[in-house]
Amino acid sequence: MCASVKYNIRGPALIPRMKTKHRIYYVTLFSIVLLGLIATGMFQFWPHSIESSSDWNVEKRSVRDVPVVRLPANSPSPERGDLSCRMHTCFDVYRCGFNPKNKIKVYIYSLKKYVDDAGVPVSNTISREYNELLTAISDSDYYTDDISRACLFVPSIDVLNQNTLRTEETAQALAQLSRWDRGTNHLLFNMLPGGPPDYNTALDVPRDRALLAGGGFSTWTYRQGYDVSIPVYSPLSAEVDLPEKGPGPRRYFLLSSQMAVHPEYREDLEALQARHGESVLVLDKCTNLSEGVLWVRKRCREHQVYDYPQVLQEGTFCVVLRGARLGQAVLSDVLRAGCVPVVIADSYILPFSEVLDWKRASVVVPEEKIPDVYGILQSIPQRQIEEMQRQARWFWEAYFQSIKAIAMATLQIINDRIYPYAALSYEEWNDPPAVKWSSVSNPLFLPLIPPQSQGFTAIVLTYDRVESLFRVITEVSKVPSLSKLLVVWNNQNKNPPEDSVWPKIRVPLKVVRTAENKLSNRFFPYDEIETEAVLAIDDDIIMLTSDELQFGYEVWREFPDRLVGYPGRLHLWDHEMNKWKYESEWTNEVSMVLTGAAFYHKYFNYLYTYKMPGDIKNWVDAHMNCEDIAMNFLVANVTGKAVIKVTPRKKFKCPECTAIDGLSLDQTHMVERSECINKFASVFGTMPLKVVEHRADPVLYKDDFPEKLKSFPNIGSL
Amino acid sequence: MQSWRRKSLWLALSASWLLVLLRVFPLLRLAVPARPWAGAPQGWPRWLDAELLQSFSQPGELPEDDPQLPQAPRGGSCDWGACFDVSKCRGGGLKVFVYPVAGPISDTHRRILASIESSRSRSVSPDEACILLLLSLEAPAGECIPVPQQWNGGRNHLVLSLHPAFCTQTFQLGQAMVAKASPMVDTFRPGFDVALPLLPEAHPLRGGAPGRLGQHSPHPGVPLLALAEERGGWRTAGPDSSACPWDGRCEQDRGPEQTHPGATLPNATFCLIPGHRPDALHFLQALQAGCIPVLLSPRWELPFSEVIDWTKAAIVADERLPFQVVAALQEMPPTRVLALRQQTQFLWDAYFSSVEKVIHTTLEIIQDRIFGASAHPSLLWNSPPGALLALPTFSTSPSDFPFYYLQRGSRPVGRFSALIWVGAPGQLPLKLIQAVAGSQHCAQILVLWSSEKPPPPRWPKTAVPLTVLEGQRKVSDRFFPHRAISTDAILSLDAQSSLTTSEVDFAFVVWQSFPERMVGFLTLSHFWDEARGGWGYTAERANEFSVVLTSAALYHRYYHILFTHYLPKALRALADEAPTCVDILMNFLVAAVTKLPPLKVPYGKQHLEARPPLAPEGLESQPPVQDCINRMAVEFGYMPLVSSRLRLDPVLFKDPVSVLRKKYRSLEKP
Repeated sequence: MCASVKYNIRGPALIPRMKTKHRIYYVTLFSIVLLGLIATGMFQFWPHSIESSSDWNVEKRSVRDVPVVRLPANSPSPERGDLSCRMHTCFDVYRCGFNPKNKIKVYIYSLKKYVDDAGVPVSNTISREYNELLTAISDSDYYTDDISRACLFVPSIDVLNQNTLRTEETAQALAQLSRWDRGTNHLLFNMLPGGPPDYNTALDVPRDRALLAGGGFSTWTYRQGYDVSIPVYSPLSAEVDLPEKGPGPRRYFLLSSQMAVHPEYREDLEALQARHGESVLVLDKCTNLSEGVLWVRKRCREHQVYDYPQVLQEGTFCVVLRGARLGQAVLSDVLRAGCVPVVIADSYILPFSEVLDWKRASVVVPEEKIPDVYGILQSIPQRQIEEMQRQARWFWEAYFQSIKAIAMATLQIINDRIYPYAALSYEEWNDPPAVKWSSVSNPLFLPLIPPQSQGFTAIVLTYDRVESLFRVITEVSKVPSLSKLLVVWNNQNKNPPEDSVWPKIRVPLKVVRTAENKLSNRFFPYDEIETEAVLAIDDDIIMLTSDELQFGYEVWREFPDRLVGYPGRLHLWDHEMNKWKYESEWTNEVSMVLTGAAFYHKYFNYLYTYKMPGDIKNWVDAHMNCEDIAMNFLVANVTGKAVIKVTPRKKFKCPECTAIDGLSLDQTHMVERSECINKFASVFGTMPLKVVEHRADPVLYKDDFPEKLKSFPNIGSL
Repeated sequence: MQSWRRKSLWLALSASWLLVLLRVFPLLRLAVPARPWAGAPQGWPRWLDAELLQSFSQPGELPEDDPQLPQAPRGGSCDWGACFDVSKCRGGGLKVFVYPVAGPISDTHRRILASIESSRSRSVSPDEACILLLLSLEAPAGECIPVPQQWNGGRNHLVLSLHPAFCTQTFQLGQAMVAKASPMVDTFRPGFDVALPLLPEAHPLRGGAPGRLGQHSPHPGVPLLALAEERGGWRTAGPDSSACPWDGRCEQDRGPEQTHPGATLPNATFCLIPGHRPDALHFLQALQAGCIPVLLSPRWELPFSEVIDWTKAAIVADERLPFQVVAALQEMPPTRVLALRQQTQFLWDAYFSSVEKVIHTTLEIIQDRIFGASAHPSLLWNSPPGALLALPTFSTSPSDFPFYYLQRGSRPVGRFSALIWVGAPGQLPLKLIQAVAGSQHCAQILVLWSSEKPPPPRWPKTAVPLTVLEGQRKVSDRFFPHRAISTDAILSLDAQSSLTTSEVDFAFVVWQSFPERMVGFLTLSHFWDEARGGWGYTAERANEFSVVLTSAALYHRYYHILFTHYLPKALRALADEAPTCVDILMNFLVAAVTKLPPLKVPYGKQHLEARPPLAPEGLESQPPVQDCINRMAVEFGYMPLVSSRLRLDPVLFKDPVSVLRKKYRSLEKP
C-alpha cells in the first residue's frame, strides 16, 4: 500500500526527469507511428475524392501524340448511306437492352490519327468543337467506357466539316472501327456537309447505316425518324459577350445580316429596303475596313459600319437565307439575339425539328416569296411576335447555346426513340421555363361526366368511436349510389368489433386495419376502391341526409376533377401578421372543403400518397392535423380549380352544435390550422387555393315548387 | 547507454518504415488497374493542347461559300415550298374544286362530297381553285380514273382516298399531294402528303359514335393488354399473364385469355397493334375504346401526324423488344396512363369519329400550311376541344381562347359587355339598361337595334359607355362577332329581359370560374319523346336542365366567332326562320364544344311573375319550332346537349343567418 503510494508520488516526477534523456525520443516515436497510421488510413479509405480532384487517372496527353493508323489503299469502304433506313430496320435495339433508367449507353472510340499509304493524313485529327462534343458526351450520364455494353457508338473521327477531310479515306477509316458492322448504331456529327460545286445536303462520306446528326439536311436527304437535324454551331459569336435583350418592337422590322447571299436574292432584299425605307436593313460585307479589324465581326451598309452579332439585337425579324448550304450558322446568332428568324431555304429541315415546334419561334417563307416577305411578316400580331422572340431566345439557351447543348439534345432525341415510354413530352421540349411554371396541366383534362351507375366508395376513417361509426354507416348505406363501404380502422391497440355486430347494409363493407395510427391512411389508394368517386367521411358526421349525399355525388359527376364537399372553409391574408389565416366563420366565400365529408376522384389518393410535394405528408402525420387542408392544396395545385361546396349544410355532428363543431372552436386549433396553411403555401411555393362565391344546390332548391316533385327534397338548411 | 542506442535504432527503423510506406503506396496504387479503385470510368481524355485545337470552320470559310440557286426537286420528291402554288389561295375560305366523277356515285364518295360541302371551304371553278380535289375511290379491278384535264403536272392537286385501294399506275402523281389512309412511311412525303386514318367501310358521315371511355382511370378489373388479331378481333390477356408477347410464343398458356371475334372494341388498358398495314384498322378501334395504342414498329404513317402529337396518346415501340415493352407498360406510372387514355378519347372525338371530321381535318391541315405563321398553334390541335373548334381566325394565341386559361396561366378580362338585342318594336329596355349598368363588372352596353323603326336619338345616361349598333334584322345577328365588343365576356340580353344588378354581378363572378361555359338564368330541358320518336324540350321547371336561354346569358365572345364562322349556313338559316331555335342552336354549339352542361344561377321570382315567360308560350302547339331541335340533332349528327342537376347559388343563399352577412342579399327578395 505504502509502496504503491510511493510509486504514485514518484510517477508524476518521472516525466520531468525524462526530459533530459528520453522525452524527445518517445514523443518522436509516438508521432511517427501515429503519422504512419494516419497516412495508411488515408490511402485505404479516402481514395475517390483525392483522385477526381487531381485527375489522376485522366491521362494528360497531347493530341499530337495519338497513335497513327495507316490505311492501305485497298482497305474496305462502307456503302453509301441507305436512304430507306428507319429505326426498326437499320438500328440494332438489342444492343440497348433492358435498362431500368431508360437511358442509352454511348461509347466513344479512342482518338487515332489516320494516314493513307503515303503517310498523308486523312483529315485534321480533331477540331476544337468535336473535342468539346466528345468531352460533353463523356461527362454525361450516357457515357460508358465498356464497348460491349454500349448501344450507340460515336467515332472520334471528326467529320463536322466535310471540307477538311478526304471523303473516301475517311470512309475507310470508319469501316475499320472495331464495332463498325455496316455502321449499325454508329452516330456521326456533321455540321457543314457537301462541297463545291453541287453542295450535297448530307455528308458525302459513305457511311452505310450510320445515323447522321447533320446540319443542313433537306427533305430529300433527311431520313425522318432516323437522322437528327442539328444546328450549325457559330464559333465566332460564342466568343462575343452579348447581354440578353427582352422582347418587344425593335429599330428594324426586318434585318438581313448575311454576307454570302445569291445576287438575285440580294436584289430582292435591296428592293424591300428601297420600298420600306428605315424599317428594313440589308447588310453586306465591308469592303474598306482598316487593317487589324476582324472583318467577320463587321457588317456594312453603304459606308455605315455595324458590329456583328450585336446588330441582330436591333431587328425584330432577321433573315436566315440559304447559301450554298441550307444550314446557316447565322440561325444560331439570330436566335441568340432574340430576333425572330425568317427562314428562307426551301426544303430545309430545321434543327431538331423532330421535337422542336419551329412555328412558335420562326417564320418559314418559300424562296420565291422573298418579295412578299414584308407583307407576310406585317400580318403577324405584335403579341405573337413577342411570344416568338421569347421562344427564339429560349431555343438558343436550351439547344443552341453550346456544343454541349447540341450534343445532349441529339442524344436525348435518339434516347426518346429507343425508350418511347420515357420520352420527353412536347411541353418539356418546347415550353420556356416561365410557361412551365405558370401553367397547370390538369391530370383529369377530358371533359367527361362519369356514368351514374358506377357509384362511389365511402371511406370512413375511425379510431374507436364505434357507436357513432355504426350510425354513420347506417346513414351512408341509404344513399342509392353507394357501391362499397370501406372502414379504415386506425386503432392498433383494439380489434374492430365482431362481424356480427356491424350494421347489416346492402353493399359490401370492408374493414382495413392499418399498421400505424396515421392520418394519411385515410387517403391511401386501397385496392378495394373500385369506383372512381370516393366519399371521405368522418365517423362522427351523422347529420348528412341521404338526399344530400346523393346530390353531392351527382355534383361530383359534373365536376369529377374537383373536391366536392360539405363543410366549406376559407383562407384569408392577414395584413397585420403578414401571413395566411384560416377562417371557419360562415362567410360569403369558400376556398376549401373539409375531407370530413367530401367526394373526390380516387386518383388524388394516389397523388396524396406518392406525389405530395416536400415533407407535407410526414408533417401531417407527425402533427396529426391538417390532412384535409393538404388535400385541398394538392388538388387545387394540380388542377388549378376551385372546390365545390354542396348544399347549405353547415352543421354535421349534432343539431345543437354551433357552426364550428366542437374541436374547431378551440382557439389553439385555429392557430394550428393557420400554421398549416402557411407551411403548405411555403412548400408549394405559391398559394394554389382558389376563392369562389358559389355553392351547388339542387336546381329547385327553395323554389316555390311542390316538395314531392323535387329530386332532392331533403336538403337541410344549416 | 545501450538502451539509448537501441532506442535510436528503433527510431530510425520506424522512420524509414514510414518513409517506405509513404513512397510505396502511390506506386502500389498506380500498379493496380484504375477502374476498381476509381468508380468513375476513364472518359474522353483532357488534351493538354485542347485550347490550341482549331475550330471546325475557319472565319472566312463560310462566307466564301459559293451561293447557288436551289436545284430542281429530284424526281417524285416534293415539298410544300417547291410544289404548291400558294398565290391562288388568297381570300377567305379554302377555295376547292372537286372533280366530278362519271358513273354511279358510291356511298363513300357521297359522304366525302357532303363533308366538303359542310366544311368552311368554298367550291369554285377549276381556274380559281386553290386546291383541286381528285377523289380516288375503290375502282373496279383494273380500272383507274383518267388523268383530268386541268392536271398540270399535279400542281395544287390533292388526291384523296379514304380506302387504301389506290390506283397510282395510270398517271404520275408528280406534284400532287396525296391524302390516303395509312400511307407507308417510305413513300410518305412529310409536310406535303397527308396521312389519313384507315376507316372502316361503314364510318358514319356526321357525329359518329362517342368514345367509350366512361371513366378517367382504368377500371381495376380490366386486363392490361389486348392484342390485335389478324382477322380483326382482339385477344385480351389478364393482368397476370404479363410477358406474353405477340409472336404466338405463348400459344400454350392461353388459359386466362379471351378471344373476341369480329370487330368488337377491345376492353383493356393497352392495345398492342403490329406494324403491318392491315392492322391500321385496329388503331381507330383502340382510340375509340380508350385503349392506349401500342404500335409495334409501324410501317405506316400515323394519321394526321403533321399536326397531332401522337406521343400524347399512343406509344410507338420496337417490336423486337417484346419483353421490355410489356415490362415498361406494366411499370408505367398511373399519371401517364391517365393522360394517354384521356388523349385517345379526345383525339377520337375531335378528328376521327366521322367521315366529316376526317375530311375537315385534312382541309384544315392544308389551310394551316397556307396560313403559315397564323396557323393553329400545336396546343390547339392537341388539347380539347381541338383545332376544328378552336379557329385561328379568332387568335393565334391560345391564351385568348376560353379553353386554355388554366393551361396558359392566364385569365379573361375582368369585365363584361352587355349586348341588348332589340327586335320587335316596343318599350325601350330602360330599366334593364340601368340594372346592367349598375354592375361593377360592366364595361360597356351595346344595343343591337334590329327593329323596323329607327332607334331613338337619345338614350339614358349610364355609368358605362352605351353604343347603338345597327343590326341586320336577323336573329342570328345577335351572335355576330361585332367589332365593338371589347371584353371576353358577353352578357346577352333582349329588350324583354328583366334582371337585377346583383343577379348580373353574381352571374359574372360565377362565369369567371367557368369561362368556357354558358351561365344563364332561365332554362329548358330536352328529353327523348318516345311517343313521337324524336327529341323534345320543355320550359317547365324541372329537376334538371340542359339549355339556358340566351335572352339572359353570359358567355365568352369566342362563341360568336364559332356561331358565325363554324356553323353551317343551313343551321343559321334555321335559327333565323324560327327565332326560338336560336337559343337551342347556341346551346348545341357550346355543348358540342365543351361536352358539358351550361350553368344556372338564381333568378328572382319577381321577374317571372312580372312578365310573360321568356320561353315562347305554347311550345307544344308549334310543331315547326319544336322540330328545330330534331333538325339540329340531325345536322350535328348526334345530340350534344348535356343535362345538369345543380344550380350555383351564393354561398349563404337563403340560409337562416343575418341578411347583413350576405353579399348578394337582394337575390333573396321574395
